[in-house]
Amino acid sequence: MTSRPEYLPERLALLSDLQAAEFVTVGLLEGRDDVPSIALNKVAEPLPGDDARSRLHRVRDLIDHALVRFRGAPRPTVADAWLAPRLHETLRLTRREAAEKSFWTYLALGVAPDYVVWRHQSEAKGDTSHGRVARDRFFGAHYKQAFARLWWAAELFREGSDYRPVTVACSNQDMLNSALRLDVIDHRPTALALVRLLERGIVRTGRDVNALTSAVNAAAATLMYDVVAPDVERDGEPMRDWIATAESALPSPREVLPEGPEEQPAPEKSVEWLAGHFAELFADTEVRGRVSNAGD
Amino acid sequence: MKIYPYPRLTGSVTARVTAVRLRGAGDVREQLESRSWSVVEQVVALGTAERDDWQTVRIGLAATVPTREIETKGHWTDVSVVAVVTEGTTNTRTAARLTSTDDSGRDWSGEIELDRADHLDRASLAVHVVAMVDGQAGRVIASTDQDWLIDMAAAAPLRERQLDVSTVSFVRGTEWLRSFRDAPWVVDTSGRMPAVRLNSDFEGLVALVESSGSQVERAVGEMLLAQMCADVWTAVFHTAIGDLEVEDDGTPLFPADWRGAVLREMLPDIVPGRSDEDALREVHTRRTGEGSWANLQPRIQYAAARRADVPRTLASTVRDLERIAQETDA
Repeated sequence: MTSRPEYLPERLALLSDLQAAEFVTVGLLEGRDDVPSIALNKVAEPLPGDDARSRLHRVRDLIDHALVRFRGAPRPTVADAWLAPRLHETLRLTRREAAEKSFWTYLALGVAPDYVVWRHQSEAKGDTSHGRVARDRFFGAHYKQAFARLWWAAELFREGSDYRPVTVACSNQDMLNSALRLDVIDHRPTALALVRLLERGIVRTGRDVNALTSAVNAAAATLMYDVVAPDVERDGEPMRDWIATAESALPSPREVLPEGPEEQPAPEKSVEWLAGHFAELFADTEVRGRVSNAGD
Repeated sequence: MKIYPYPRLTGSVTARVTAVRLRGAGDVREQLESRSWSVVEQVVALGTAERDDWQTVRIGLAATVPTREIETKGHWTDVSVVAVVTEGTTNTRTAARLTSTDDSGRDWSGEIELDRADHLDRASLAVHVVAMVDGQAGRVIASTDQDWLIDMAAAAPLRERQLDVSTVSFVRGTEWLRSFRDAPWVVDTSGRMPAVRLNSDFEGLVALVESSGSQVERAVGEMLLAQMCADVWTAVFHTAIGDLEVEDDGTPLFPADWRGAVLREMLPDIVPGRSDEDALREVHTRRTGEGSWANLQPRIQYAAARRADVPRTLASTVRDLERIAQETDA
């Protein structure tokens, strides 16, 4: 099994796809090899400055804890709901910073390749073949990459400082995988309304979630959710304050949920209206599904 | 063309930027001059700001709506106009309502504020007309034809992007560059934007590309640049198409960043006469093995050469060389 990097520098770094490509070997993807950490850090570009947020050990400690906590779990997927809010709170990135792919690539290869393999290696088929990790878990789109997907889920599903909706969304792999790739959840009341449908048990299975998210996405092409269910105006100040206090921040709490930036919550009326609307959309797709099944 | 299950406006909606104001910490303000945006290109270039420490930008907007159509057809009530700014790479969406500035409901204006920390590269701004149709509130009944682009760093309001060309020594460069030590240039598509690296170890190349020498050198230099550009377009196309995300039903998706822009730009030349989505699906299907990928290569080359202006540059190089030859003969 791929192990914790032998060499971990003080600071986080950036690693481009091109530089990363030579380290993402078949041996790593099959969890047989380690990442040569000294060679990797020779080509990686450390983050400039002395920002507390770029201290590598803050993240690595969190990963170590997650591994101890969930290694014995029946499925590694359960770690997502725990790690997403804590990773978000530990890194304290702006969206601009989080859009930098090379940051996530370094995190996956330079900081925690062992975690990526443990979390994303598929079951081995038969005795001969090894299970594999998809390459895009190391470097890929924000909804695929092992850590970017958790960070973005936390960013898009949180309600101001409250990470509870994040844990609900991340407890359902289908929600995490299918909603995160859709532009509609960039509208916060939409993201929160989807979570409510999960909480209320209106959608349960992966099939439900996929039917719901594609119906919501299709409806968004003709309905302007920003008008029928407006969010409050975005305000960057709480995020800036939160980032400024990173220096004095304690390690993310392991047992209780951390707290995010003190942004205004989404208007309850908007979220509820959308939750009702989505429940109707979902009921329609269910009916249609039943009719077409009956016709088979 | 998309089909909508409700009546939409046929007249067009136009939007233009009227003011751009930046704000930084400690209430520092800067109003950008009107040369920072272009109505023709529909681009706002925030790199024109004098200060680099701004945190938010407020964009003043004016929009016009085909009022007469709304009145005569009578399908729509509760008309509102909203500006929406989105950037795929930062998953950010900001909306602002505009307000009607005259009695006829034709002219609308307002402001939209963006936070710099929410944007990385280029955000798109669209204006939508929203109304109640058949008892359903919030229907989008019309949108601007072309989005405005808000470029976070550009120093000039141009839609087309300047290619990032830099000169480096391949021998002394990174390990990756060292493996190309004999090449005059390579195209690097791994970053946020594609870039060309010129090999400074390749003697005479830099002077040639900078086209500062004789007439012949200038003609050849231009040709070389066009060829390089064609290389870039081919490389970025392959990078973009090779890295597509695919929906569960097999529909390939346009990437949010420059890869998507490149595909939209080139696909009409590669699969002519089809919608962007159809063309993407066709090319993706061919690449993944069903249908012929090889047959498509000449079309990709053609599209790249057209973007890079190779035919025109080659024609004028031939003319220039002929003229130079005649002058020397005479």
